[in-house]
Amino acid sequence: MKISFKLNNKNVTIDTDPMRRLLDIIREDFHLTGTKEGCGEGECGACTVLLDGKPVTSCLVNAVHIDGKEVMTSEGIAQEPLGKLLIDCFDETNAVQCGFCFPGFLVTSYHYVKTDGEKNLDKIKKALSGNICRCTGYQKIFESVMMACERN
Amino acid sequence: MKFIRPNDMEGLFQNIEENNDRKYFLAGGTDINIQIKNGTIKDAEIIYIKHLKELNGIQIEKDDIVIGATTNISDILNSKIIKENLPFFQRSLESFASPLLQTSATIGGNIANGSPTADVVPLLLVLDAKLEIVSKSQIRIIELTNFFTGYKTNIMKANELIRSIIIPKKAENGFDTFFEKVGSRKSLMISKISLAGLKNISHNKFTTIKLAAGSLNEYPRRLYKIEEYLTDKSLLEIDFLKVEELLNEEITPITDLRSDKEYRYHVCVNLIRTFLNE
Repeated sequence: MKISFKLNNKNVTIDTDPMRRLLDIIREDFHLTGTKEGCGEGECGACTVLLDGKPVTSCLVNAVHIDGKEVMTSEGIAQEPLGKLLIDCFDETNAVQCGFCFPGFLVTSYHYVKTDGEKNLDKIKKALSGNICRCTGYQKIFESVMMACERN
Repeated sequence: MKFIRPNDMEGLFQNIEENNDRKYFLAGGTDINIQIKNGTIKDAEIIYIKHLKELNGIQIEKDDIVIGATTNISDILNSKIIKENLPFFQRSLESFASPLLQTSATIGGNIANGSPTADVVPLLLVLDAKLEIVSKSQIRIIELTNFFTGYKTNIMKANELIRSIIIPKKAENGFDTFFEKVGSRKSLMISKISLAGLKNISHNKFTTIKLAAGSLNEYPRRLYKIEEYLTDKSLLEIDFLKVEELLNEEITPITDLRSDKEYRYHVCVNLIRTFLNE
């Protein structure tokens, strides 16, 4: 099936199995390997991308879902001014440990700061509750997002 | 696996009328993709329906709120119509899976998937929700409480699907509301027990009680016997040993990897106490 969509602001078309996972399309067809596969069941958030501006777990999204839509990955977000600001904040607080969950946290944090942006710890915790960091570095991740809310 | 993306409702009906293969509707994909991955679903036909506008959206129709089956949980959480009319329902859905899954998961999918732990079902049960079930030639409206027939089974025929969920606009009006999900964590929690309740009190007596439990039977259920026992009683008149006895008739908790049946039973009793005392 022919699937046309916007990937990190560029129009692309692929011919693929309509049930193929968005996660695999991003990693295998476009070699954007920032998006990670953790659990593969939507519980860890390592594969989070924005679909039409909303965060989704790309391991549970099929090719057919993205036809005519916009997909933004961590690589695309890293090029945006707000993405750069967030990366600086993660850097300053030393929030990143092993780094595996980080692209997912970047995507979800970007969505929070962009759509809400209130420097409110409870709201940030809730917004990030679908992303798991098994190094358990949550405190610094929350601090980074608080910092980004203030500076944005 | 065969895949079909009908162009419109007509194409959808034509396909499900003519074709007797085992089929699954794909909307959000948050349950079906896991079942395909672990092999529970194989050699089936997958019919994509998320793009069909007739199945999507939230509307007021006379005295009811009508929610299209493929409406995402996040759309319900952000809906002004739901906020104004069903604030308890909206608030309670915040504990649905996680914010990331709320964007993909759909209300109809959560019902049709038929999981005993389905988050939306106990809530919809106490709100007296109905389902609009459609086929090519027929529309039937059935009470959600009559929809499930067993573990992951329901009354729908092979040529039918859920078009919408119908909730009376005033379903919450005048009630004290209660919803508790019990599990091991806050986010992404698959509940060990969930209890939804509505009550109103007049002259110290419970005049109306509606109770529904999730994860305690092969499908979420209203606890009608307990409702009947509690109605027209004051808190002091309630014999909790009797409630426990009735609960034994109403629920059939199981022991699984998330919890054991004794724990589920006792917590359910405690939740009913909390609900009545609040």
